[in-house]
Amino acid sequence: MFVASLSARSWVAKTHTTHIPEGNTVKITRSGSIAAFALIGTLALAGCAATSTGGSTAGPSASPAEAAVFGPKVDPSLTGTITAGGSSAQGAVQPAWITAFNGTQAKGVTINYDKSQGSGGGVTNWLNGSYDYAGSDAALKPEQYTQAQALCAGGAPVDIPAYLSGVAIIYKVDGVTDLQLSSATVAKIFTLQIKTWDDAAIKADNPKATLPSTPITVVTRSDGSGTTANFTKYMHDTQPSIFTQAVGTAWPVPGTSGQQGGSGVVNAVAAGSGTIGYADQSGIGANTAAKVSGTGKDFVGYTADGATEAFDAAASPAAQGDGDLTEIVDYSKITGATAYPIPLLSYLITCTVHKDAAQGKLTQAFLGYVLSTQGQQVGAKNAGAAPLPTSVLKLAQKTIALIK
Amino acid sequence: MSTHTTGSPAGAKSTGVTASGPLSPRNSVRTRVKAPSRPGDRVFFGLSLGSASLIMVILAAVAIFLIVQAAPAIGANWTTNSDLNTGPTAGHSSFWSYVGPLIWGTVWSSAIALVIGAPIAIGIALFISHYAPRRLAGVLGYLVDLLAAVPSVVFGLWGIFVIRPFLLPLEHWLNANLGWFPLFAGQQSGTGSTILAGSFVVAVMILPIISSISREIFLQTPRLHEEAALALGATKWETIRLAVFPYARSGVVSAVLLGLGRAMGETMAFALIVSPSVIFSLAVLTDTRNSQTIAANLALNFPESSPLQREALIGTGLMLFVISFAVNFLARAAITRTGKGAQRRKLEVVAVLPAASTTFEIAATATPEQEKAFGADGSGS
Amino acid sequence: MTSTALPKARSPRNPRNPQGNALTSGQLPRFFELYALAGSLAVCAGVFALMGFNLVGWLVVSAIVYLIAVGVFSSIVESRRKATDRVVRGLVVVAFLLAFIPLVSTLATVIVRGISSLTLNFVTQAAGSHFDVATLKVTNTEGALQSIVGTLEITGIAALMSIPIGLLTAIYLVEYAQPTQWMARTVTFLVDVMTGIPSIVAGLFAFSLFSIIVGPSKVFSGFTASVALSVLMIPIVVRSSEEMLKLVSSELREASYALGVTKFATITRIVLPTAVAGLVTGIMLAVARVIGETAPIFIAASFTNNLNFNAFSGPMSTLAVQAYAAYKFPGKDIQASIDSAWGAALLLVLLVVILNLIARLVARFFAPKGLR
Repeated sequence: MFVASLSARSWVAKTHTTHIPEGNTVKITRSGSIAAFALIGTLALAGCAATSTGGSTAGPSASPAEAAVFGPKVDPSLTGTITAGGSSAQGAVQPAWITAFNGTQAKGVTINYDKSQGSGGGVTNWLNGSYDYAGSDAALKPEQYTQAQALCAGGAPVDIPAYLSGVAIIYKVDGVTDLQLSSATVAKIFTLQIKTWDDAAIKADNPKATLPSTPITVVTRSDGSGTTANFTKYMHDTQPSIFTQAVGTAWPVPGTSGQQGGSGVVNAVAAGSGTIGYADQSGIGANTAAKVSGTGKDFVGYTADGATEAFDAAASPAAQGDGDLTEIVDYSKITGATAYPIPLLSYLITCTVHKDAAQGKLTQAFLGYVLSTQGQQVGAKNAGAAPLPTSVLKLAQKTIALIK
Repeated sequence: MSTHTTGSPAGAKSTGVTASGPLSPRNSVRTRVKAPSRPGDRVFFGLSLGSASLIMVILAAVAIFLIVQAAPAIGANWTTNSDLNTGPTAGHSSFWSYVGPLIWGTVWSSAIALVIGAPIAIGIALFISHYAPRRLAGVLGYLVDLLAAVPSVVFGLWGIFVIRPFLLPLEHWLNANLGWFPLFAGQQSGTGSTILAGSFVVAVMILPIISSISREIFLQTPRLHEEAALALGATKWETIRLAVFPYARSGVVSAVLLGLGRAMGETMAFALIVSPSVIFSLAVLTDTRNSQTIAANLALNFPESSPLQREALIGTGLMLFVISFAVNFLARAAITRTGKGAQRRKLEVVAVLPAASTTFEIAATATPEQEKAFGADGSGS
Repeated sequence: MTSTALPKARSPRNPRNPQGNALTSGQLPRFFELYALAGSLAVCAGVFALMGFNLVGWLVVSAIVYLIAVGVFSSIVESRRKATDRVVRGLVVVAFLLAFIPLVSTLATVIVRGISSLTLNFVTQAAGSHFDVATLKVTNTEGALQSIVGTLEITGIAALMSIPIGLLTAIYLVEYAQPTQWMARTVTFLVDVMTGIPSIVAGLFAFSLFSIIVGPSKVFSGFTASVALSVLMIPIVVRSSEEMLKLVSSELREASYALGVTKFATITRIVLPTAVAGLVTGIMLAVARVIGETAPIFIAASFTNNLNFNAFSGPMSTLAVQAYAAYKFPGKDIQASIDSAWGAALLLVLLVVILNLIARLVARFFAPKGLR
């Protein structure tokens, strides 16, 4: 038994350190892992738990060529509870991060992430001092930043980009499977200027498709949402003359069918006919998403790489203070032929100095893991997230090193 | 404490025995019988008085909380304030122009739910208490109570997955054929996220509340009254109308009000099912012109709102408070009035009856007398 | 059938027979209502078969045709009074059957969709997840133990606080206070207002209250949620108990006083047992109302997938919250999330059913013998 568990441990550790960054190799080793698991059976579980400690310590020594980023070293005997919450876009990725953190870094840390609060609620609770960190689809506003300085006694509030995803435009039209929509058409549909599916603008984007004359039912969010904020900003940045409404978390165009939550939109689109809506790509399930264009001419569907490429092109740092990593995303700059035009960036917000040093240590350990190469891979595997560029992760680790 | 005493010394404080409310059907007897008093009595009285006072304290605390939280937003200038002229509160010149449509939406949606739900609920209660075979009644009563156990989230999901698609053909038909009628007007719904669907689900939600309380009340009707009416030849319906309903009126109205309170405060069902707009609208069959309710609006917009917007939303909650009070007040005033009127109407019914049905005449006129007779008999024994 | 009965019929207004009465006036055959029902169902089936069949439409139209037929025949053959009686009976039955469709539909939906997730593990395990370091995949195991614990503790504490307060207030209003007294009036008025508190506001209130009392970093707890639920529960308990206590006949109380029994004993030995069935119904309604709340729980107790037994510290989950969260924030496999949402919902319904059964047993135990 002991031997078996040991072998599993060393084997897993090796896989982890050498193969993760290259996509293809992982697939091969994964099938290998299934065989190994079948052999070892339940012992593999013990093996995994044992590897947890090995994950970060063994890592740096065997770093591959493109230098994976690692978080600060975590004491595996660390215990405590982190209370956090906010962005529901991170609702799918946070549980994965938490499980991976418990599995590889510190088993005894309990992390409660409340995705029901929404970004606004998360930041408000964090500003009140109820949360150790907040997840938010928007960086702190200047007035919130000022307010937060009081909270972070002696330190500074920091916005750390952590989750990169994309807004998908989903539709259900009888007989249409490969819909392509230019940003102008998207803006016209969502501002209700195009009313039927056989409109000339849609035809122009889809010369080959046979489009029915059914009316378009535009499905939007009835609740405030970071997804709405990103989507309206996309329309505003790329088509300012068509989309003249306000950019923000509340859907600004009256006369659409409003549904609660991303799941509400997805359900209503799937259940209806001639429907179109937008939702975070991680939550669209089996629905078809349109290929969209930005300011460029190419129609691009969501891929993790496409979102990373878009982030590289569109984001420019706009630090609000020491260690702060706020990024301004300008959607009009996304022109690449494979860059996904509607990326969605979500932050983790915390203080560099926590009132309770123990909480600071826990937060540092967890955020450090989230912003490591492995943490980002976990997000990619389990929530379809796009890994953040290594340069951003390195900056993030510098900020995280300040947390205490 | 002092207010309640009847002037009797040394804490021997038994008040009117029938401390029935002004709405009670039995406020005729107001004899004062003094019960002996022991220390246990005083403790118990203190406890009940304490609980009643605690409710006042809790409510005062909630009210103060609401007012303090809502005041900045109610007083703010909504056109210039950078928080309030964006997001969910954008486009409103003041708090009142924001909350107005929401109040309308709340009243409108819950009224539809009540119109659908209340008569059926009372029908169910009557069926279980007076029509169903006794053995069946217990089972049926339990089944209806079971429905009260279904949480509102489940009703919301049921509304999305079952009711929306179920009502959609009917909605399309009404919209196409009776579209001239303001209720059915508007753009055809593509998803079924209409007020009709929302209110229908809420109507089902309030069914068990209204029917289980009404049922208990119908069952409590003194059997002698009913038997007297039946013995005098009244049909079952006449018995119910003349012996059961007058007795149960206050309780049934309370049950309906509880149902209405539930409907007005209902958050999840409306939030999940209805596609809302903050507007004044009568339409019940569209996706695009549904008046939003206060509770759903609060739940939908609260998470992403800035602090001042949150305060505005809490202000709308305060208004829900106010209108639920107003509705209760009006309803109570209405039953007190009809309570007096009903006696008169009963006699009118008798006068209108055809001379031929003498048996019924006896039944109708005898019932109040019987009531008195029994009352006198009871107190005398 | 009816044609043979017709000649016997006498209109109640018939001037030649002012003494006409129920014994001699015409009567419809004993099973007339059944025949009428079968007839209207058959006729409407025919009509609908021509127009395109629709189950619900068929039932609804049949019901209307039935009511009209019964009313017309009965008023011709019997009397208007009997006709009204029959029509009302029909209406009540129709109302009941109408209501039964959604009731059955809701319960069936919950059971059918939830039963597949309702395994022994789902009930006895907390939600868990496992991280595979080799593939970086997280696998989730569904479980509801953390929510069952949370539901029982949060609702239990809320009930422990609200039922005594609510019941005692109702007793005060009905047994002690004069209805005209300012205190009684104020309390009735306040209870009315309290029914209008939106659930989310109750959550916010408890959250703010505990932010002040225990500080913002410890505010999320099951107890905070219990306080929020109590605010929602108390008015329902007071309202329903008040009505039930009012219905206890005053003769009973008077008889008790006449025998020299103290007021305390009269209330606890006579009034409460007499009303116990109604009181329990009201209390169970209140429990059912708050046990399914989501918004105040999210605000006051936050959200967690971890098992937490301590209601006084740390986030807690409830079954309603779990169902809502699984629907609103599905994982990558949307269907699996929705299935587990229905599973949690079914579990919640079962839990309330069990509580209801226990409550009824208790009520039966305390109820006076032979009263019902």
